[in-house]
Formats: sequence, C-alpha cells, structure tokens
Amino acid sequence: MTTVQDTNKLKSIVRACRLIQRMIVAEPGHRRSQVLYYDMLTKYFTRLLDAHENGDFVAAHTVFFPSELIYGMDLVPMHTETSTWMTALFTGECSDILTEGSTLGLASEICTPNRGLAGAFSLGALPRPDVMLWSNMVCDNTAKSGELIMEICDCPGFFIDRPFKDSPREIEYLTGELGDMVTFLEEQSGKKMDWDRMSEIVERMDRQIELVRQINELRKNVPTPFSPIGFLDLVTIDYLFPGQPEAIEYLETLLGELNEMVSQGKGAVEDERFRLMTLFIPPMYLVNFLEKICGEYGAVSVIEPFFTYWGEGRLDPAKPLESSALKSYMIPEMRMYGPLDERALNSITDCAEQYKVDGAIYFADVGCRHSCATIKIFKDTLNDMDIPVLTLDCDVVDHTATSEEEVKEKLERFFELLEDR
Amino acid sequence: MTNTSKTGNVRLEWLDKFREINRSFPRTEQLLDYKNSGRKIFGWLCTYVPEEIIHAAGILPIRISGYSHETDLDDGTAYLYVNNCSFSRSCLQLGLKGEYDFLDGVVGGSTCDGARRLFDLWRNYIGTPFHHVLTIPRKYTERAHSLYHYEVEEFTRHLEEFLGTEIPDEALLESIKLYNETRQLLERLYDLRKRDNPPVTGAETMEVLNASYRMPKEIFNEWLRNLLEEIEASGNAYEYRARLMLVGSVLTNAEFIKSIEDQGGIVVTDELCTSTRYWTDQVVLDDSRSPRESVARRYLNNFPCARMYPSDERFDRIMAFARDYKVDGVISQIVRYCVPYSHDLPLLTKKLKGMNIPVLALDVEYGTSGSGQIATRVQAFLEMLEGRKK
Repeated sequence: MTTVQDTNKLKSIVRACRLIQRMIVAEPGHRRSQVLYYDMLTKYFTRLLDAHENGDFVAAHTVFFPSELIYGMDLVPMHTETSTWMTALFTGECSDILTEGSTLGLASEICTPNRGLAGAFSLGALPRPDVMLWSNMVCDNTAKSGELIMEICDCPGFFIDRPFKDSPREIEYLTGELGDMVTFLEEQSGKKMDWDRMSEIVERMDRQIELVRQINELRKNVPTPFSPIGFLDLVTIDYLFPGQPEAIEYLETLLGELNEMVSQGKGAVEDERFRLMTLFIPPMYLVNFLEKICGEYGAVSVIEPFFTYWGEGRLDPAKPLESSALKSYMIPEMRMYGPLDERALNSITDCAEQYKVDGAIYFADVGCRHSCATIKIFKDTLNDMDIPVLTLDCDVVDHTATSEEEVKEKLERFFELLEDR
Repeated sequence: MTNTSKTGNVRLEWLDKFREINRSFPRTEQLLDYKNSGRKIFGWLCTYVPEEIIHAAGILPIRISGYSHETDLDDGTAYLYVNNCSFSRSCLQLGLKGEYDFLDGVVGGSTCDGARRLFDLWRNYIGTPFHHVLTIPRKYTERAHSLYHYEVEEFTRHLEEFLGTEIPDEALLESIKLYNETRQLLERLYDLRKRDNPPVTGAETMEVLNASYRMPKEIFNEWLRNLLEEIEASGNAYEYRARLMLVGSVLTNAEFIKSIEDQGGIVVTDELCTSTRYWTDQVVLDDSRSPRESVARRYLNNFPCARMYPSDERFDRIMAFARDYKVDGVISQIVRYCVPYSHDLPLLTKKLKGMNIPVLALDVEYGTSGSGQIATRVQAFLEMLEGRKK
C-alpha cells in the first residue's frame, strides 16, 4: 500500500470554512460566535495542512480519544472521524474515499467514517500522521481502525484500552493507559509533556464543560434560543478543542448571545412549535437542509442526552491524567456507548421532562450498530412518556444512503403528527 | 473427485448422541431434567466469561447460541436493528420467544458491540433473574491481567451474594480440573485431524464442539472419551481435494461445514470462538496465584478473538495452526456486521498470502447452510487449490 501525499480534502474543508465565515460576516446582525466557530475550524485544519512543512509532529486520533494530552505536548492533533465528517459536510462528496476503503478489503458494513478514513489515508487525501492513536472509546470500529492505518501510513501507533464500566478500579486502569500513551508520544516526538500546561488545559476543560451545562440550562427556555441543529457545533468544539482558550472564548461568546436572546424573549426559530430531542448525529450532508426545514416548521432540537448533556463531576487540574480518564466517562456519548443501564435511560426521561420535549428524532446511522441497537429501548422509554419518536434511516457520511426528499417527507409527516397532538 | 470420501465407513454412535443434544437445544431433555431437579443453569454469551467460576458455584453454565439454521429474525431485528450481527439477533430472538426461560442467570462480557448490546437488551426485555457483565480488557499487559482478575473477583462476589453462599477454592479447583480435562479431550479430537487422512470431518467435529457447551461437562467428558475410542476403532479415514482451515466469526451450524466438505474440501482445523478458541489453553495452577487469578489469566491469554490488541497475537496463532494441520487454503467466514473480524481480514489475508496460503472470504449470515452462491465460490476455490497442487 503506498501513500500519495495529497491533502486535497483538508484544503477543501479550509476553503469552505473561509467562505462560510466571509458569508456570515457579510450578513447584517450576524452572531460573533459563528464567526469564531469557523475561524477555529479554519485554523485547526490549516495547522494540520501546514504541519509537516512547519516541522510539526502530527498525532492522528480516533473519536473521543483524549486529545487534550496531545495539546499538552504541543503536538498537532488530527481527529480522524471528524476529518471524514467534515469532508462530507463541506464537500458533500465522499465516494472516492469510501470506494478506496472497500478496495482495501474493508467490508461495506464497516461504518463510513472508518471505511472512508482508511480510504482517505490510502489515497493521500489526508496527511500522513507521524503516529496513529486510537482507542475502544465508542465501538469496535474505533477499536479496530488503528492497525490498518498504521500499515497504510507506515507509522507507529498506540492503542488505549478503555474499560467498559466506570468503577474506580477501571478509571485507575485507564489512567495507567494514558500514562503509557504519554510516554509513547514522548519517545516518538522527542517532546516532553508539559504538566503545567496540561493542568491549565484541564482547568479549561472543566470550564468548557461548565459552559456547555450553562448553555443547556438556557435551552430549557421556551422559546429556546439555540439554533435547531446547533448542537453539532458544541460537539465539534469538544472533539477538536478540549481545554483550548479559543473554545472558552467561543462558548462564553455563545453563552452571552443566548443570554441576551432569552432576556429579549427571542427564540432560535421564529415561531417555536416543536421542541425536539435528538438521539444521534444527523447526516452531515443534510445539516443545512435540516436547519432550513426546522426553521420552516418551527422545530428545534432542545436537547441531545447523548451528545451535549454532560454527566456529573468536576475535573481536577492538580491531577491531569486522572481528570482526563474521568472525563472519558463523563462524556455524554458514553452513557449510550457504555452499559445500557438506568443512567442511560434516566438521562432520556430527565431530559424529556426538563426540556419539555414534544418529540424525538433518532437518526439511525446504518453504519453504527452500537447506537442502532438502542433505538427500540429508547423508543419504548419515550413512548412510555407519551413522546413520539421518528426513526430516520441514514448514513452520517454517505449521501447515497438517503435523499433529501425522503427525509423531508418523513419529517413533514412527523411534524403533522406532532401538530395533531 | 467431487466430495470427501471415506474408507472404513463405520457409523459413530457416540457422535449421534452429541447430534441429538444439538438437535433439541436449548430445550434438551438433559437440561430440563437438570433444572427440574432443583439446580440452577446460567447462560453465558462469550468465551471470555469464566465458566469455571459458575460451575464452582454449583451452577451449570451453558453457552447461549441462536438458531443453527437459516430463519427469519423479525423479533431479533426489531429489538437489535438490522445492522447488528445475525448471531446477536438470533440469540435474542430465541430469548424473547422464551426458549431460554429455564435460565437463572445470564453472564456477558464487554467483548464486542454485538455481544454488549445483546446483553443490554436481554437484561431489559427478558426476565432472567441474575445478570452480570464483565469488563474484558483488550490487551495482555500485566495491568490488563490485574484488571481482569479484579473483574473475576467482582463477578464471584456478585454470584456469592446472589446465591447467599461462598464459593470455596476447593470447588473451584475441582471445576478447573474438569474443564481442563474437556480441553485436553478436545485437543485429542483435533490431533486426529492432523493425520493425512483424518478419521473425522470438520462437520462432525462441530457437532462435538456444540455439545461441549450445551451439557454438563461431567457427562460430556465421558461421552467424548467414548467417541475418541470409537473413532480409533473405526478405521475411518477421509480422502479429500484440499485441506481447509475455517477462520472468522461465531459459527455453530455444522451443515455449513458439511456443505464445504460435500464438495471435497475437508476442514481439518479452524479458528472460531465455538471451536479452537474455546478449548485451547489450560488453566495453569501455580503457587504464586490464587485459583481465581489463574482462571482469569487463562481467559485473557487464551487464543484471542479479533477484538484483542495487538492483532498479531491472533494472526500468529492462526498461522501456527495452518502449519500444524498442513492447510492448503483458508476460508474466512465473517457474519455480516461482525466488525472486529472484518477489520482484521485485509491484514490477515496479507499474512497468509506471505505463507502462500490462499484465502476465500465469505460474507455470511449466522446459521447459513452454505448453499447457493457460497457453494459456487467454494467450488471455484477448491478447483484453484487443486490446480496449485499439480
């Protein structure tokens, strides 16, 4: 397997982000948080694009990997799945990297972010990382993706084994794994971990989580001030910028804007009619369409129990590694990907009550076995509360899985059903 | 020659007894009698669950499996969705239909997404009284062994609390002895398949394996001893077009293997969680460790599932088996949506290619019989293997 160095996917993402940012700035009365958001994305991917030229060390990592540790060592992180999602979001086209993933021998059942990722590295559509870091935080796809990428990119790698449950003994195990990973990175990069910097990062991560909790509090208002699909921005900020100063600036700005809207009684959509719970990530190529149709129908996602609704707990800057391990169990997604116990189900019922939810949408990503197996039980839980659930089959990256018309028709029917109630 | 042919042709009566167990599983007369005698039966969902602990508690551990034939999985699909593996859906469907209602407990492990979700939904929708899921590390480091040992201790405590009684070390030592004997007997069965003309087929072996986790080991060991004697006395010997190894996802359907062997390929060994990964590696007792720690060490160090890291450990063992059993070709059968094995396939294929061993990759559904397109592909594969010998 050879790699052709061509970073065209990242260039496309950077171009799109710059363009969107310019369009936002040109709009009268635009929100500063939106400008900051696209500025952050531009800088993230530009830094990645220029990394090798600048002599920087690139550490590719899978989703939910504690990339704060990469920042703590002043290395350049490359969030692999987000790079695939962003490709779909900003270019709308992933067929080349998906086809290449299949050519490598990866079965079509392997989810598109991971199949596309292997394809992207193989085609040279993403820059070759200096190391590959991956973990089993989430699912088998993330747990199994690393070794093939190491082979394709001819780079060393480190796998973090994250225990399934969150007993103190298991968190201690994960802390040990993170320590080994830091040692590995120090050996590979020649750079030492800056523990003072790491403590500052943890302090900011704690603030970051608190800010998201405060934003969520504001979303409880009727009408809710936060945009219909805006939660994806919150998720992206957490994925790409853990404990980074720009993340704090963005979230504080957003919080200020939302506070102002609440005080003025303004909602994110003109006439809020349907308050929705979102149960998985929508297809990236339909985000703009979803934003539009939600606006038309007065529908807005007010809470996402497994994406923005953080678990309890605070991080301790004096214990950076332990905090990083603990954070991995506080992440909202982990209630869904971990044991499907009362905590997961209670977070749904709590959110439904607190956020006055009228209905829920489950974006059933056909590639995500782990989440789809929760559809029935989540649906039963919400139906017991007399809250209808719409399940939309889709793929987070592959636009051939579903069409805009199909989604539109199903959404319209769902909104009619909610209206009738 | 279009299929395997046998000299000797002696019908193996003890093999028929194993077949009978499998035919009526899960509601076998043996299991229902066991239950009716007031004793408890637990189901386990993955080979990383330490059976000896359950057995030492005076409980009969059996493996939960699905339908061993092709069937509609409407209920399983409604609960687990279509994109979960058909093994999980098949097991859950049997559970939802009450076929496992005699179970007193279900024990799972955090091995793969399918197994985890199967456990979650089983706990939520099927009223089995006791549930426990073990965290299974994915590495073999001392830290991982220490965590898994802790998990086995926690499981023991939970079990003792459920039963209201302690599980003494003496009982565990007896269970270890019994289960080690099962492993040794199964290894003897496999050793017979190393012969130039094996006296048993892969399909026949699968019948024995299936029964091994569906009945009390005390009886199984006795039956298998008898079968081994019967095989030796039979003079049976198979001729074939090619010696094959099966690798990949969970498989219990002996008919699938038979359909390959009907075309002339003999399956002489395999790497499946229902076969070699079930019986290889003994629990090694040593004075530096408690019996529970020894059990934990065996389960984590066992012939690895594709979930484990690094994958080379699995690949090396497969390659060693391929050499020992003089394999001409490897058939990879991966149940759709079995992600760990799908990810490993490109790397494993490359390794086997390096040994000059061709690989036939089949995407299957759990319970498939191996007819239709699969049969055509197997036929072409066998022709290719024969061509290489000339």
